[in-house]
Amino acid sequence: MDTFSIKRVDNDDLSTLYLNGFLDAHTAPELENEFEKLCGEGRYNIIVNFKELNYISSAGLGVFMGCIEDIRGNKGDIKMCCMTPKIFRVFDLLGFPALYDIVDSDEKAAELFHKQEA
Amino acid sequence: MRHINQLSLLLPLGFFLVACLQFVGLFAFEVYSAGSLYTRDGIILLGLILSLPLIYKQKWASDRNVLRGLRHLFFLILMTSGILFLSNNRLDLLQQRFADSGMFDGTFADSIFIISWAFFAIIFMLIALGTLRNLIYVKRKRTTARNFNLLMIFLLLFSLSSVPLYYAEEGLSSTIFSWLNNVSLFIFLNLAIINSFRVGWINYLNKKQKLGCFWGGLILTPVQIAFLIHFRNISPIISFSPLLERFLELGIVFLTIYLVFSFLALLSHLPTARIYDRKMQQIQSLQDLSRALNSEFDWAKLVRTIIKLASEVAESDFAWLELYDQKAGKLSLISSKNLSDHERQTWSSTLHSGLTDWLQRSKEGMLCNQASKSERVASIRKWKNETGSLIAVPLMASDRILGFLYAGKKEEFGFEQDDAEMLRAFSDQAAVAVENARLVQESIVKERLEQELRIAHEAQMKLLPKEMPQLDSFAIDAVCITANEVGGDYYDFFELGDHKLGVVIGDVSGKGPSAAFYMAEVKGIMEALAKEVRSPKAMLVAANETLYQNFDRKTFISLIYGIIDTRDRRFTFCRAGHCPLFIMNGKTEPRMLEPRGLGVGLDAGAIFEKTLEQMTIKLHENDALLLYTDGVTEARNPDGEEFGEKRLATALMQAREESPAEIKKTIIHHIYTFFDGQNAYDDLTFIVIKAQSDEAERHFAKERRKNGHIQHKAG
Repeated sequence: MDTFSIKRVDNDDLSTLYLNGFLDAHTAPELENEFEKLCGEGRYNIIVNFKELNYISSAGLGVFMGCIEDIRGNKGDIKMCCMTPKIFRVFDLLGFPALYDIVDSDEKAAELFHKQEA
Repeated sequence: MRHINQLSLLLPLGFFLVACLQFVGLFAFEVYSAGSLYTRDGIILLGLILSLPLIYKQKWASDRNVLRGLRHLFFLILMTSGILFLSNNRLDLLQQRFADSGMFDGTFADSIFIISWAFFAIIFMLIALGTLRNLIYVKRKRTTARNFNLLMIFLLLFSLSSVPLYYAEEGLSSTIFSWLNNVSLFIFLNLAIINSFRVGWINYLNKKQKLGCFWGGLILTPVQIAFLIHFRNISPIISFSPLLERFLELGIVFLTIYLVFSFLALLSHLPTARIYDRKMQQIQSLQDLSRALNSEFDWAKLVRTIIKLASEVAESDFAWLELYDQKAGKLSLISSKNLSDHERQTWSSTLHSGLTDWLQRSKEGMLCNQASKSERVASIRKWKNETGSLIAVPLMASDRILGFLYAGKKEEFGFEQDDAEMLRAFSDQAAVAVENARLVQESIVKERLEQELRIAHEAQMKLLPKEMPQLDSFAIDAVCITANEVGGDYYDFFELGDHKLGVVIGDVSGKGPSAAFYMAEVKGIMEALAKEVRSPKAMLVAANETLYQNFDRKTFISLIYGIIDTRDRRFTFCRAGHCPLFIMNGKTEPRMLEPRGLGVGLDAGAIFEKTLEQMTIKLHENDALLLYTDGVTEARNPDGEEFGEKRLATALMQAREESPAEIKKTIIHHIYTFFDGQNAYDDLTFIVIKAQSDEAERHFAKERRKNGHIQHKAG
């Protein structure tokens, strides 16, 4: 079976999730739990790094939609970065760029948060 | 048969009667020849030889109820002894007279007295021997019957050889008989001791019965010994028949030896009687559990049985069973005995995590006989403070711990080490039973789910168009192949009138039943809206508005909705986050059309409407459109490679001259070749629309008529 893992790195008020492997209907709950945990800790400024993600299904995309209202309602956001072209294609087809900031590096994503604060 | 058996006893009795009559007759006529004496002994011998095997055939002599046999023997011996002592004076007198004169010279009444006594003694002896044989045969081995039969043979041999000695014939024959007499006595005594070791029936008595036998034996054994000594001293039967006298005497010797041995064996069994009883009960409980294990798949009943039997095995005051939840891996209290409502309510999985952890690691049972002084059990005492001693054992099934079984007593030092070991053995059995019941339960649930999913699959397939729309200048074909029984892919056609046909394809996010329910909802909304709303953009904006409110936030659907105008061969459409569509003009490579648009259900409305682009294309003769879901391009081969847009374009290109039905077949063929035996991972749906020349139209129309309606079933 294809595997999926998440590595979380906290830096000041930013949390970065590094996704790895296959994000589909079976593994989506793991990411969902991670977001719930972050929200529970009051950490709403989240960067998701897609560099090591090989595949994302619609259920995986749904995870972001499921938690974004809560996060934005608490003045936070999810910024996405480092997508491979294949992953970006999936996001792009669905029109995610209209809903989320998608950039090509962690730094740029962090910058976006800092700009927001300023 | 039974009657014949009973009647057959009359034959030896007849012999005895003849012997008695002869005795009385001889006495009356005062004839005492040696021949007549020998004849009498011969008749009695025949009677004995006949009666011994016959008596064993009687129903009461093969009664396997040990207690009943013992009780019979007890009363028989007491009664006989009583009679013996009552008639003591008279017998004594006769014996004296007889010893003095060496010949019987009593009155007629005396002779009647002697034969009645002899007759009674024979019957007593035969019944006693039958009962003893029965006891000896309780734990029968290969040699048991042989030893007993040899005993009887030597008993008769000894009695027989005593006769000539008694009549005091001098000479060579006398020495031989004397020798024979001694040898057979010696062998008889040895055999009697060997047979007396066969007291296995004691094992089958429980503690109470053993105690009963002990008191019985305490009375009977001295009585029996006194009986033996007394009988030797006063028996006047010898004047009736020396053979019978010897037979009776030695029979009583055997009876005494056997009773003494039994009594001693019983004494040695008494101290361990309680432990023995408990072992037997524990084995019984294990057997009960095995039986329950093989037949009980009703979960509630099974756990009740486990607790009930565990409590019996350990003789505990209270017991409870905790099992791990299969999915969550959390302990829960499954069943209990003698726990109060309050204790059941206050139980929690973290109640005694220290003890649980220890049991998990050690995989051994734990015996604690002083709960008040044990740190490990402190948490349990806090919860149930009357705990005095406690046994805890894990339920192990193939190295996996399923849960724990606890048995406790109020008193301290209530358990012994072998209680813990027994409960450990018991828990292994219980674990197997639990595992089995769970497997059965699972397979029942699984079967039911499968059946429900089959029904759901059929229901969902009914939501897809049953036949392709028939148009003047377009040919259409479509297919939906679901990866699971139900899925979130969707396509439909709407007759809009005025030469227009609405076409929709969509893919609900997620998988399985939830996606399928949303798909049904989408279908209903699209069907309702298609009749009212004329432009694809307005249609999708309206659909988004409704669905955004009804969908849970995680769920969305990608859609393409378009309207074919068959008169001017235009296709006007919007792409709401869906895969792009292919257009192929029959000559050049297929082209992808990808107007902007957000998936339905992602945004409340404003951004959705702003981003959604509507596109109109003109379709020429032989131009083909391919609308598909991502299941097509994301189909993966065993190496994990995706089918992709390129391969799809190639397949499309290869069949560009063909009818939509052929194009469909070609694409499916390409995908399945690519799968290379792999199963579809996602639902896979596509629609092929082809603009036709009038000529081709006529041709395909004919083909359609020939084949009837083309129906497509997924799966």
